[in-house]
Amino acid sequence: MAEDTAQGPGRVLVAVYAVFALAAGARAAVQLAVQFHEAPLAYLLSALAAVVYVAATVGLARGGRGGRRTAVVACSVELLGVLVVGTLSLVDTAAFPDDTVWSGYGRGYGFIPLVLPVLGLLWLRHQAEEAAEQG
Amino acid sequence: MSTPLVVAISVVAVVLAALGALSTALRRRIGTAHLATTALLELLLVAQAVVATVALAGGHRPVELTTFLAYLVSVVLLPVAGLLWARTEPTRWAGTVLGVAALAVAVMVWRLLDLWEVTRG
Repeated sequence: MAEDTAQGPGRVLVAVYAVFALAAGARAAVQLAVQFHEAPLAYLLSALAAVVYVAATVGLARGGRGGRRTAVVACSVELLGVLVVGTLSLVDTAAFPDDTVWSGYGRGYGFIPLVLPVLGLLWLRHQAEEAAEQG
Repeated sequence: MSTPLVVAISVVAVVLAALGALSTALRRRIGTAHLATTALLELLLVAQAVVATVALAGGHRPVELTTFLAYLVSVVLLPVAGLLWARTEPTRWAGTVLGVAALAVAVMVWRLLDLWEVTRG
């Protein structure tokens, strides 16, 4: 049971991550395919964000030691990404003509991209503690 | 895309999210009310997809057609995915899982309507 990151409240987290993986993935695919030349940096970051969301979703859904490790890395990259890209998008607006998931700290998505990795990391820490207690 | 349908979808989606939150708050699993509401939501989404497909066949062309189609397919699949994922959850959190899917649907239909109304001519 303790190994299950995708049970109980964890399943809600996986659901939110899946929605974001879907939204970011679809958006990045279209941007890269149709209008890549307009803002290469922003669109590559969109694609990176999508990959990170997919990795976090899979890691959380699989659970276990390996799944948790994948999810911790993905959530950390995500937190770093939303902070760095959020800051850059405010400082250098020319490089980000189109909003990405992480622009303005996820402003276009109700700041969920900023809150999500924090919740993810807290949940993963809780799960790791439970796993340790059970030996 | 039909605006009344978008409104109806949003209302049903919010009701479903509220039902989900309620079952979580009451420490219960999802029941018949959740199933029926999800079915109604899916029905409305399919109707919306049919309306959009007919208009597309009739020559309506949103500027961001690719994005529109990707969203349209995703939004129709979302309640199904949410329900399947919620039904395998044995705890009270099943309702919240379904609620997340429902809220995502509510946001996406308005985004779809935006995309639909931007045309080239």
